[in-house]
Amino acid sequence: MFVNILKLGWKNVWRNPARSGVVIIAVLLGTWAGIFSAGFFNGMLQDYLHKQIELSIGHMQVEHPQFGDLYNPKYSVSNSNEIVSYLEAQPYTREISAKSIATGLAQSPHSSFGVTINGIDVEADTSLAIEQYITEGEMIDTTSRNPILIGIELAERLDLELRSRMVLSFQDVTGEITGGAFRVAGIFDSFIDQFDESTVFVLQSDLNRLLGNMDAIHNIRVDMDDLATAEMHAEEIEQAFPGVLVKTWRDIAPDLRYTFDMMDLTLYIVMIIIIIGLVFSIINTMLMAVLERTRELGMLRAIGMNKSRTFSMVMIETVFLTMVGAPGGLLLSWLCITYFGNVGIDLSAFAQGLNQYGIGTVVYPSLTWSYYLNIMLMIALAALLSALYPAWRTLKLKPVQAIRKFN
Amino acid sequence: MRYAHRAESNYEYSNSTKESSDECYAAESMIPGVNTHPMTQIEPETSNLKKMSIITTTGLTKVYNADQVPVHALRGVDLTIDKGEFTSIVGPSGSGKTTLLNIIGGLDEPTEGKALIDNTDLTTLSDRKLINFRLHHIGFVFQAYNLIPVLTALENVSFIMQMQGRSSRECREKSIDLLKEVGLEDKINKRPSELSGGQQQRVAVARALASKPAFVLADEPTANLDSVSTAELLDMMLELNEREEMTFVFSTHDQRVIDRARRVVTLVDGKIDTDEKR
Ligand SMILES: Nc1ncnc2c1ncn2[C@@H]1O[C@H](COP(=O)(O)OP(=O)(O)OP(=O)(O)O)[C@@H](O)[C@H]1O
Ligand SMILES: [Mg+2]
Repeated sequence: MFVNILKLGWKNVWRNPARSGVVIIAVLLGTWAGIFSAGFFNGMLQDYLHKQIELSIGHMQVEHPQFGDLYNPKYSVSNSNEIVSYLEAQPYTREISAKSIATGLAQSPHSSFGVTINGIDVEADTSLAIEQYITEGEMIDTTSRNPILIGIELAERLDLELRSRMVLSFQDVTGEITGGAFRVAGIFDSFIDQFDESTVFVLQSDLNRLLGNMDAIHNIRVDMDDLATAEMHAEEIEQAFPGVLVKTWRDIAPDLRYTFDMMDLTLYIVMIIIIIGLVFSIINTMLMAVLERTRELGMLRAIGMNKSRTFSMVMIETVFLTMVGAPGGLLLSWLCITYFGNVGIDLSAFAQGLNQYGIGTVVYPSLTWSYYLNIMLMIALAALLSALYPAWRTLKLKPVQAIRKFN
Repeated sequence: MRYAHRAESNYEYSNSTKESSDECYAAESMIPGVNTHPMTQIEPETSNLKKMSIITTTGLTKVYNADQVPVHALRGVDLTIDKGEFTSIVGPSGSGKTTLLNIIGGLDEPTEGKALIDNTDLTTLSDRKLINFRLHHIGFVFQAYNLIPVLTALENVSFIMQMQGRSSRECREKSIDLLKEVGLEDKINKRPSELSGGQQQRVAVARALASKPAFVLADEPTANLDSVSTAELLDMMLELNEREEMTFVFSTHDQRVIDRARRVVTLVDGKIDTDEKR
């Protein structure tokens, strides 16, 4: 009997093809819009995450275990050459950069501000990410004396321009305060305000001379092909070099993870709102379908169709109505996300400001399988819930009243 | 032969009708020499009765209380219909025909009085049991909206048997037989919208018979039909009545239908005015 009710429910869906069609298309488009926009924003976020990682964090960082506490420059990685050669030999490594670091004060005649000073080896590290964010001037190199690269926010705070002179003061390896004068060679605008205001780049040789240790390396950053394996390799490195601490991007920037989780939640909230809209249109349609069939349902009840059968008939009909559109919407959104995930969606024409938020103008949508699965489950649940009310209405039906209307 | 199974299907209800059989028993006890103590000798007597009367109403009243003013639709109807009868309920509009048929069919409850249908006092049944009783004991033909529009004639007839839990093969074969019997063998795969009104009513009769009911109840089955279809439907019902001994109870306004009924019960103002057997 259940099979017959299933068949009947399916046929009932097509009683009013136009009306059912509208609901099916609404479900299809709603599902598509919800999932595709999730893919779109997820793609944006992934892009943001990757930029953050590329610019300041990397996938793994190797440091002296105590360096992270107070950034005391005496805690440098002692066997940095050995570690660098080891890392260069690893198949997972894509890029390595080793830098010295000091924290101190940047001063101009105007003002001063606390900064992290990165000593970079421009000859060894040929592809430093910061280079692509320079908006004025150029990358520092060894041809000029004490060049420095500062962020646009810091330039504003300290009222600095290209070729302005500024002073950095910080602790050297012995704990004495030291400092030097630098000349602004370039200004970068990375889009991350905090980064742009508190990060400067100088030549490693200049910084190390002032620190009093020409070989000082405080941080070795590793970028890999697959960032998901970072934890695993971090452990390997710590085992190979017991004197160092290896941190992954997750350890370094918990806020990124938080952003990620929040985004996830937002995507689900968007989908829930869409589903609520769909639920109402489904309930509305099914109520109409039930009300205009009062006589027929009354007749069925009269001839002996019991309540649980009329109930399940309407339930099944509603679930069918929903479940025809949903897989179509899922498929369509999967196709769109896959296609645009490869080709990208160029927003440069109408989204000039996006860079401010650290988002590129070409978005590559992407979405994990678990999201698709969860959406599928949510829609199935919504279908069942929206089926309940119209089906419940059939329970109140009195066959006589239904039949009376004949006359 | 066709309806031989009915005895078993009645059986499941006979337990729940013990109280109601007291009624019959009271009547029987008037006969001298019969033991008046219940449960001992009563069984053979009632089973005898069972064979005879399918519908017995006693003092049936129905008062509708809509719109503050009570409407007395039935004012004490005592009616007995035996197996194999072909009864027409007639009377002016508003005389209570539909009300009476609805109570007999277990679709409505009387305000007072009893309806003993196929040996079951319907007032004792729960809602759930009542639906099940209708499914197994009563065949319904309504004036309109009898059929499920999305199902074919065959599926419409099968559907009721599927609800009774019979095998799909049996449903199919039996439905084809019945549609042949009502003269629609060439229309079995047509949907109601592709059938004429008369053909639809014949499918409804086939559907009513498919559940192997004790009797068929029809409220103005020909009201929407032209005279030719009316005559055809009536021929068919009469033939089933003669050949299968199927009991029909129907209401009508149509004089040509009344003329062909074997028994005509006339209601006036909620009471039986005349009861004529021919
Ligand atoms: N649900 C109801 N509420 C109130 N009054 C009702 C209801 N159903 C029927 N009646 C009244 O009960 C009386 C009998 O109605 P019923 O439908 O049984 O008559 P009928 O003989 O079938 O009439 P017709 O020939 O027009 O079909 C009428 O006065 C009618 O108005
Ligand atoms: Mg009537």
